[in-house]
Amino acid sequence: MTIEKAYMLISIFLFLSGLLGVIIRKNLITLLISTELMLNGVNLALVSVDRIVGGIEGQVFALFILAVAASEVAVGLGLIVALFRLRGYEGSSEITHLRD
Amino acid sequence: MEWLIFGFLSTWAVLSVLGVLFLKNPIHALLSFVSLILAVAGMFLHLRAELLAGLQLIIYAVAIVVFYVLVITTIPWEKVKRFEGFYKREFLAGFPILLVSFALFAYAILKGSFAKVGLEVKDNVKEVSKSLFTTYLFPLEVASVILLTAMIGAILLGRKEE
Repeated sequence: MTIEKAYMLISIFLFLSGLLGVIIRKNLITLLISTELMLNGVNLALVSVDRIVGGIEGQVFALFILAVAASEVAVGLGLIVALFRLRGYEGSSEITHLRD
Repeated sequence: MEWLIFGFLSTWAVLSVLGVLFLKNPIHALLSFVSLILAVAGMFLHLRAELLAGLQLIIYAVAIVVFYVLVITTIPWEKVKRFEGFYKREFLAGFPILLVSFALFAYAILKGSFAKVGLEVKDNVKEVSKSLFTTYLFPLEVASVILLTAMIGAILLGRKEE
C-alpha cells in the first residue's frame, strides 16, 4: 500500500461520513456543512489520484470544485435564511409541505 | 517519516469528522469543520499540491466559514436549540450500509492498479496555472459565470419582499 492509496481511503471516508451527516443531522445548517465534507472528500481523491498518475488535471478540476462549493454555500445559506424568515423552519423534519 | 505525517494528518481529520457528525451545537460542529479544513490543507501540502492548499485555506477557512458564522448569528438561538443533535433511528439504519460501501470502495482501491503516466511535475503552481489558462480556459470562464449567477441568486433570495 502506497501513501497515495492511503490518502484515497481517507477521502472515501470523508465522502461517506458527509453522506451520513446529510442523512442523520437535524439542523439545516449542519446539513450544509456535511455537504461541504463530501466536496472535500472528492477534492482529496482528485489530488491523490493526480499524485499517482503524475499529472495536474485533477488539481485543476479541484479548483473548479472549490468555485462550485463557494456558490453552493451562497445559494444554500440564502435558501435557509429565506426559509427561516418566511416560515420559521430550522430543522430538516419541519419541511413537509409537499408530503401533506 | 511520510507515514508519520500521514498518521498525524489522518488522525486529526478523522477526529474532526467525528466532531462534525456528532457534536450537538451547530457552532461546535462548524469549528470542527474548520479543523478538518486545516487537516485537508495539510494533506494537500503533503501531496505536493501547494496552490490548492493555499486556495483551500483562503476560500474555505476564510470565506465559507465566516459566511456560515454570519448566518448562524442571524438565526435566533432558542430556535436552533430545538433542532440539535442527530436522528438515532436513521443513524442505526444508515451506518451499516455506509460501512459496507466503505469496505467495497476500500477493496477496490487496495486491489486495483492505476495507470502510470509518469511525468514528474517540478513546479506545481506554474504548471497548474499554465494549464488553467491555456487548456482549461473555457471552463474557467464558465466557473466565473457560475459564481456570478450564485451571487445574483443569493441577492434575490435574501431580499426583503416589498
